[in-house]
Amino acid sequence: MAKTLKYALVVLGALIMLFPFAWAVITSLTPAGAVLQTPPDFTPDNATLDGYTRLLETMPFWRIMFNSLWIAVASTVFQLVTSAMAAYAFARLPFPGRGALFAVYLATLMVPLQVLVVPLFIEMRTFNLTDTYFAILAPTIASAFGVFLLRQAVRQVPKEFDEAAVLDGAGHFRIFTLVVLPLIRPALATFAIFGFMASWNSYLWPLVIIRSPEFMTLPLGLANLHGQFTTEWNVVMAGSVVSVVPILILYLFAQKHVIASVAQSGLK
Amino acid sequence: MTLTETPVEQVAKQPVRPPRKRLRYALTVAVFLLPSAVPLLLFTLIPMAGSLWTSLHEWNLITPMRWVGLDNYADLLTSEETHAAFGHTLYFIAGYLPLVYAGGLGLAMLLNRAMKGRDLFRAIYFLPVVTSWVVVALLWKWLLNPASGIVNWAIGLAGLEGPGWWTDPDWAMPSIILASAWKDLGFVMIILLAGLQAIPNEYIEAARVDGANAWQRFRRITLPLLSPSTFFVVVISLINGFQVFDQVHVMTGGGPAGATQVVVEQVYNLTFKYGRAGEASALSWLLFAVVLVVTIFQVRGQRRWVNYG
Amino acid sequence: MAGSARVVAATLITALLATACSQGSATRTEEPAAGGKVTLRYFTFSAAPDHVKDLDTIVAAFEKENPTVDVQVETAPYDQYFTKLQTSIAGQTAPDTFELNYENFVTYAGAGSLLDLGTAGGDTDTSGYATESLNAFKHDGKQFGLPASFSTVVLLYNKDLFEKAGVALPTADWTWEDEKAAAEKLTGDGVFGDFQPVTFFEFYKALKQTGGEFMAGGKSTFNSPEGIKAAKWLVEKVGKTMPTEAEIGGTADYDTNLFKSGKLAMWHNGIWQFAGLKDVPFGWDVVVEPGDTQKASAVFHNSVAASATTKHPREAYAWAKFMSSSNVAATTRIASSWELPPVSDQAVLAGYLKDPVPANRQAVFDSLKSIALPPVIARQQEMQDAVTQELTEAAAGRKSVEDALTEAAAKVDALLG
Repeated sequence: MAKTLKYALVVLGALIMLFPFAWAVITSLTPAGAVLQTPPDFTPDNATLDGYTRLLETMPFWRIMFNSLWIAVASTVFQLVTSAMAAYAFARLPFPGRGALFAVYLATLMVPLQVLVVPLFIEMRTFNLTDTYFAILAPTIASAFGVFLLRQAVRQVPKEFDEAAVLDGAGHFRIFTLVVLPLIRPALATFAIFGFMASWNSYLWPLVIIRSPEFMTLPLGLANLHGQFTTEWNVVMAGSVVSVVPILILYLFAQKHVIASVAQSGLK
Repeated sequence: MTLTETPVEQVAKQPVRPPRKRLRYALTVAVFLLPSAVPLLLFTLIPMAGSLWTSLHEWNLITPMRWVGLDNYADLLTSEETHAAFGHTLYFIAGYLPLVYAGGLGLAMLLNRAMKGRDLFRAIYFLPVVTSWVVVALLWKWLLNPASGIVNWAIGLAGLEGPGWWTDPDWAMPSIILASAWKDLGFVMIILLAGLQAIPNEYIEAARVDGANAWQRFRRITLPLLSPSTFFVVVISLINGFQVFDQVHVMTGGGPAGATQVVVEQVYNLTFKYGRAGEASALSWLLFAVVLVVTIFQVRGQRRWVNYG
Repeated sequence: MAGSARVVAATLITALLATACSQGSATRTEEPAAGGKVTLRYFTFSAAPDHVKDLDTIVAAFEKENPTVDVQVETAPYDQYFTKLQTSIAGQTAPDTFELNYENFVTYAGAGSLLDLGTAGGDTDTSGYATESLNAFKHDGKQFGLPASFSTVVLLYNKDLFEKAGVALPTADWTWEDEKAAAEKLTGDGVFGDFQPVTFFEFYKALKQTGGEFMAGGKSTFNSPEGIKAAKWLVEKVGKTMPTEAEIGGTADYDTNLFKSGKLAMWHNGIWQFAGLKDVPFGWDVVVEPGDTQKASAVFHNSVAASATTKHPREAYAWAKFMSSSNVAATTRIASSWELPPVSDQAVLAGYLKDPVPANRQAVFDSLKSIALPPVIARQQEMQDAVTQELTEAAAGRKSVEDALTEAAAKVDALLG
């Protein structure tokens, strides 16, 4: 009985969660003139792919998609590597001033991006790096968020595991790659999703640093759909739906690792 | 300023090494840290220093900076707008954090056990996290529309009159809290799920054998073993909560009547709309000070409740 | 597990290589274009998303006439345009030429960010421009911007609704009283009689329509009997002949959708809406906005300005002039309803009247006979926001109109310093 109730609860919650996305999908399929009405003026009969075709027409869609994808993938890989390494150091390698350094790492999360954008722009300008892929990517090479998340995970790995490896004569690099990394796979998979999302949805920084259309990323392209006086909501919704897809795919992929990890970790 | 939570550990665990080995150890530490430290220094810490410098100036971005010393800070500390902005931000956190943590934990517990379609449900609950705030805000404003929204329609069925939600200064912040908690449930869920995966099943089985009921197992085994993840969620949610911006910017823009004017919304307006970048930077550093103090308290306090196994 | 580490390493190296490779192509804009060509950057908010192709047409025509110049267009949505422009000026990478609206023009001209276009080209012929438009972009006697487009606000109305309700159609002689009486008769059965946003922009105009002044001698003067009358004119529509804030629901384009779905009889809005109303299933037309003691119509101006730091002042001037007053630009704008070109040549403008809908297009030009330009100060955005916020308070019934204006005046005076 309690089980059925719980299941019903999960299903009901899922419906509530699904609702906005369903709404976005429906709006994206609605003819331009009929969007945003209450109740939505949508029937299967007047469904149209206009929103999606307009999306392809009004911007160099595939180019933008390619930019966003590779930047997000590169930044995710960078963040995973740099964060996991730092996490290992902060969890397993004692050194004087470690706490203070970790505080500095965390402190980088505490100043709003809105005031960092201008100084960072000026800095990039002095390196002559404005309007480059590297400039879009730079702020997402390292992530204090990731270091923190992964440090928590590394600290949960029982120390006996490393100690056993040390007895076998393994150095820190081998312990890191052979013992710790496999054990923190759920956290790595989780962070991969967030790292990807952070880059994929990044808006303010690419907006100011990019000026050539060929570097344009998806959030910038979608923002361009909002005119000064009018907005084609069906196109905006089509863009929003499309922009969710890569993250969902990544999520489904990563989720397997989150679950599989226990079986493989040898913790049982 | 240090966040060293276990100074004893360092002294005890750092074995005395001969100089060559010490050098090697230092190199090892450096190799592990530099890949993250260098980019953070270049692309975050240097801009932070830049904004600290900016905070001592009057600057509209398009004319040269003018030195004003600590005037920006003095003005902000005595300004009612600043007090209100911090008040609204705290209000947001006080509503959002318990809601999103309790909800996320409940979800993670529910979706951690075997059930039909579990993976699908997890994906569905994660969907709002990946949907952009532009879409989510539009939707919630529609759901919470005082005149034609579904929520007030349902309240009306119960014979009550629904509030004005985001059009009413008293209800605007609760509306934003509701939408934010809804959107971020999946974020907390996925982190706690990863934490739950790390809890060895035999601990819970052992407790079951000892006759502990479900609540006792949750309270005595799961919750303590989940504490590192909880700690992470609370610290990060607080850091992010203090910097709440996107949802406010797209849902109410700080209104109505300034009721949702949070700190970062003010920072954004000052920098990019009003050409007062110096004050914006100073305000950000005030925010920084608050967040830092709160975080230090948490890190210092974690010894009492966080269990690293 | 060593396998996955290798995969990570390989991916990382690939990513690094890709990044490195991208640098080569990325810096290309810094170098002069091939064949001694000058690359001239133009940054605009009004082209995307609807008029990118029209802008391309103008650029192509310019480049044909000026084969040594390569115009590189950059666009941003209006909401973020100034964020980007300010940051690039702060970083000393300002675009050579960029679009500025009248309200923001003074801030940039006063900051010394703009090139004096009156002397930049060694060509001072301004006969092609409508004089009022040209003067709008003078600052301290210097021509810091060339007017490129303008649009006006008129009263759009749904003919079918008027006929159904048996109300006489609006005429150019209408006053507020006539509009109010008609709106009341037209409201009902899910139809709203009127829609006029409660904002700074409507307020300064209504103020002029009733004979008041927004500011004088460096102080606000709108907290006056005229100011109260103008504010009440706007505020008292809300909830009577016009939907409330709650009904509008903060939805973008609510009024557009309301009018398009045939549920709005009268709509105060700009001529930029014309293109979107082509296919509505009812008759509609426009008149000059009713006034109170006098007529006053809002005019929005955009200009092309050049950065004070541009390395190509002559080319910048040539482009600014071409974009603002060339025949190609003017006719392209008229053909695509991309606002109106502020040119003095009436023959070009006459093309605008050829389009049959709305029938009374002449009203657009008639509205220019008595215009209300927005008050402009250095801290423009703060002033606009303060006035709009106070008026919104009054419209929501949280403050009396008198209190709202008193507080708005205090805020504006503080901004005037």
